[in-house]
Amino acid sequence: MGGQGLDLRDLVVKRGNRNVLEGLSLTVPAGQIYALLGGNGAGKSTALFAALGLLPVTSGQALVDGKDPAHQPEAVRASIAYLPETVALYEHLSARENVDYFLSLAGQIRTKAQIEEAFAQVRLAPAVHDQRLSAFSKGMRQKTAIALALLRQTPVLLLDEPTTGLDPQATQDFHTLLLELKSTGVAILMVTHDLLGAIDVADTIGLMIDGKLASQWHARNSIPRFDLQGLYAAFTHARIGNTSA
Amino acid sequence: MRRAVLIARAELALMFRSHVALIGVIALLLLSAIAAATSQAHMAQERFSRLANQTQTDALFEAQPARHPHRMVHYGSYVYRPIGPLAGFEPGIDPFSGTTLYLEGHRQNSATISAVRENSSLMRFGQLTPAFVLQTLAPLLLIFLGFSMITREHMRGSLRLLLTTGVTPRDLILGKSLALGLVGLIALAPAWLALLMMAIAEPSEAGAAALMALGYGLYVLIWVFGIVAASALAQSGQAALLSLIGIWCFIAIVAPRGAAELAGRLEPLETRAATDLMIQAELRQLGDSHNPDDPFFAAFKARTLAQYGVTKIEDLPFNFRGAVSAEGEALTSRLFDKYFVELATTQRTQSQIVSLVSIASPAIAVRRISMAGAGTDLETHLRFLQQSEAHRFAMVQYLNRLHRDKLSQADDAARSKDPLAEQRTRIAADNWAKVPDFAFKPTSAKERMLAAIAPILTLAFWLASVMVLAGWSARVLRARAL
Repeated sequence: MGGQGLDLRDLVVKRGNRNVLEGLSLTVPAGQIYALLGGNGAGKSTALFAALGLLPVTSGQALVDGKDPAHQPEAVRASIAYLPETVALYEHLSARENVDYFLSLAGQIRTKAQIEEAFAQVRLAPAVHDQRLSAFSKGMRQKTAIALALLRQTPVLLLDEPTTGLDPQATQDFHTLLLELKSTGVAILMVTHDLLGAIDVADTIGLMIDGKLASQWHARNSIPRFDLQGLYAAFTHARIGNTSA
Repeated sequence: MRRAVLIARAELALMFRSHVALIGVIALLLLSAIAAATSQAHMAQERFSRLANQTQTDALFEAQPARHPHRMVHYGSYVYRPIGPLAGFEPGIDPFSGTTLYLEGHRQNSATISAVRENSSLMRFGQLTPAFVLQTLAPLLLIFLGFSMITREHMRGSLRLLLTTGVTPRDLILGKSLALGLVGLIALAPAWLALLMMAIAEPSEAGAAALMALGYGLYVLIWVFGIVAASALAQSGQAALLSLIGIWCFIAIVAPRGAAELAGRLEPLETRAATDLMIQAELRQLGDSHNPDDPFFAAFKARTLAQYGVTKIEDLPFNFRGAVSAEGEALTSRLFDKYFVELATTQRTQSQIVSLVSIASPAIAVRRISMAGAGTDLETHLRFLQQSEAHRFAMVQYLNRLHRDKLSQADDAARSKDPLAEQRTRIAADNWAKVPDFAFKPTSAKERMLAAIAPILTLAFWLASVMVLAGWSARVLRARAL
């Protein structure tokens, strides 16, 4: 797919009198996965909202595939797919209807074959394509949402705690999908608490503390891909620090 | 707009796949259809009954044998208020105000026989009419269907997902309003159909019917945009529901009754009994018009004798007793008119106070449009009372003229002692048929339409206000998505 990926430059976001983001800078090139870790309230989700253009940025700039959401909101939304922590698709619609609906809202038309292909890619059994989501497990809902993200065919994908509540097999399947997506050139920014999952799939892992990027690790070409001891120590320290704060 | 239509379609799919919503819509539709059918049938029966009663009363009056004309003054007659073609839709004050008047000499009786007094106590809780269904029940159904339309989106997190697909908060508000508006349209359909059928049956009423349809359309739209705005502004579905139920209580229940109470306190109306006592007290001062020698009529007697250049009533070219009766009736009628004007003025002032309160409640405004359009409002009732009194006066004075011109004074004076004289004071029965029949002239459709303009403007103001509120609520939606 290719593209210019995601670039957050010195982002400052204020909510009330508090700086929720204090000069956050990170880059997710096309065809790479960036896992953003951090304790609760570190500002991870705020970074996603700023990239989505849902939050006004006090200073700095977010560039989604080279476009600034503050100035080109429509173009940014056409370039970005978002998978929220809680799959917020409609329970009264079937998997196929949900996908159709959100694609139509985004102004994208996909053929039945394309939709079937996306469902096959996420391993959603054909028998459930026309079942309402109210009968789906969390994993099946997640697969439907990922199929939607695939069908959006956007150069940038934002994921908010995507594996929360998934069983190990579903998590593994999900990671496989992410790697497939990455291979098509999609830039993926994933906010997560799942350090082990991040180590599995990410090209870069960032650790946020108090609205800032405290540390950043790049994957190596050797096994293990990351300095596991350093990562674990920094992550644990960040969580303890956040809890004591 | 494309996105708003898509959102509306998804919302309607939710409503129709949710059995509760579907049952609610079907129930309202049925209720509306049943109300339209039963109310129309009830009013048709009532219309027929009043017409039949009027015909029978007129026939009985005309069938009276040869009599002394003053006995016919006391025999009197009844008039029945006819029902307009649109009253089946909105009975207005018809079930509460009297619909029948007994007309007789020397007295102005109150209108009697109202549906509320004549029927079971259930009637007092309000008749099931299309107007009641639309004014009171339809908003309640719209509230139940719409209160969570937007709170649901932000509480489940789908609002954020929608916004990331390029949907704007304005699209969302518009889409949800379209869906709820369509349900409102379904609820309106039987009532509009009933109005259309009434307008086809009576083309002169088409303008008034169209204005009523417009009024109800505006009223439903006010609720639609208000509910969507409340759903967008509320933090949770529960908060939206509680707020909307509170608003519904105020608009549909408290304000109309409170307005009537306020009007009654600011502009109190004398009770009929108190008014009757005051009239009786003034009547006693007017003297007895049955007695030509009553001192009260001495001046009239002197004036009449002087006018005809005679010194005693026996020399007058007519029966002085009949002349005194006519003079007495003119005086009492003037007194009745004075009290009627006072009553009408007070009631109109009360009505104006209620109209002012309609700024706080669109339910009052739509009811005013409905009653004015259907001709079941206070103005029509006052018009009926006024025309009935004019008819009573004309009938009594016609009989008094017969008394004055067709009866000899000597026979009239001797009739209580002389049976032959009494026989001669009876005049032919064909005279009774010459009393003109009561023909009520209701307010024209044009006048009724003019009366509905102010409340239509009130509703337009309300609609503009809730649309602005809905537009403003779109601003807070982006923050709700976070």
